[in-house]
Amino acid sequence: METMQPSDSALIALYIAGQEEAFAQLLERHKARVFTTILLIVRDEDVAEDLLQDTFIKAIHTMKGGRYNEEGKFSSWICRIAHNLAIDCFRREKRSPLLNLDTTSHAFNSLSLAEEGAEAALTREETHARLRELIQELPAAQKEVLVMRHYGDMSFQEIADATGVSINTALGRMRYALINLRKKMAAQPVFYDQNLYPREAAPVRVQRIAG
Amino acid sequence: MIKTFTHEKLLRYVYNELPAKEHQEVEQALAHDADLAATCADLLLAQRALNGVRRSPSQRTTDAILQYSRTFLKAG
Repeated sequence: METMQPSDSALIALYIAGQEEAFAQLLERHKARVFTTILLIVRDEDVAEDLLQDTFIKAIHTMKGGRYNEEGKFSSWICRIAHNLAIDCFRREKRSPLLNLDTTSHAFNSLSLAEEGAEAALTREETHARLRELIQELPAAQKEVLVMRHYGDMSFQEIADATGVSINTALGRMRYALINLRKKMAAQPVFYDQNLYPREAAPVRVQRIAG
Repeated sequence: MIKTFTHEKLLRYVYNELPAKEHQEVEQALAHDADLAATCADLLLAQRALNGVRRSPSQRTTDAILQYSRTFLKAG
């Protein structure tokens, strides 16, 4: 049976009231999305770990300092902080694409070996690593929208406001990001068909998205 | 009346951003329009693929953040 999870707002209120456990829950709930958002921008695992800490430290200061604005979603707010820090860092370092992101040193980070076996897990992680590479190859504006929407949990309107474009432009960029990813993935049919989608997905659907 | 939906509206649908009325209109259309349903399925599959890219930080980093929060509480 599913248990009711407290909302982010409830956890923030509890945290501000002094319950550290509430913050631990917030962190657990959002850390992977925030980390992925940063990682896809800075492309360096160690830098991303540091920036994740900086992001949540800023959040801690804001919440504990009584300056947290309840109006927006916590998820969008925290990802906006992360995105800004990552962009600042990227510009400061003038970083060229690094290999760290796609090495297999952390190949089993998010996978359960017990459930699917080491070989399948490795294949799946290699596939995900390749997909991360393809995301890096997207035009900057498309990648920005994709990362903010999918990993940052920002609405298209929030993305439009943050990037100074209309919502239709943000939606259009997302659309073309997905189209471009499809094209790139379709060019690698083995990678695409066998690994990207779970086996239960209907073949006709896989062919459609590939085409 | 046959209602057409833009790709952009479908995007907002799969990301759960449409107002309730428009959300319902898309759902009704999906039940009767195979092409629309296929396009929507494509988007959902793309979402699922992108979910696979998600990575978690190390436990060391998570612990450091929690430790900072506890320290900040004591200092405050």
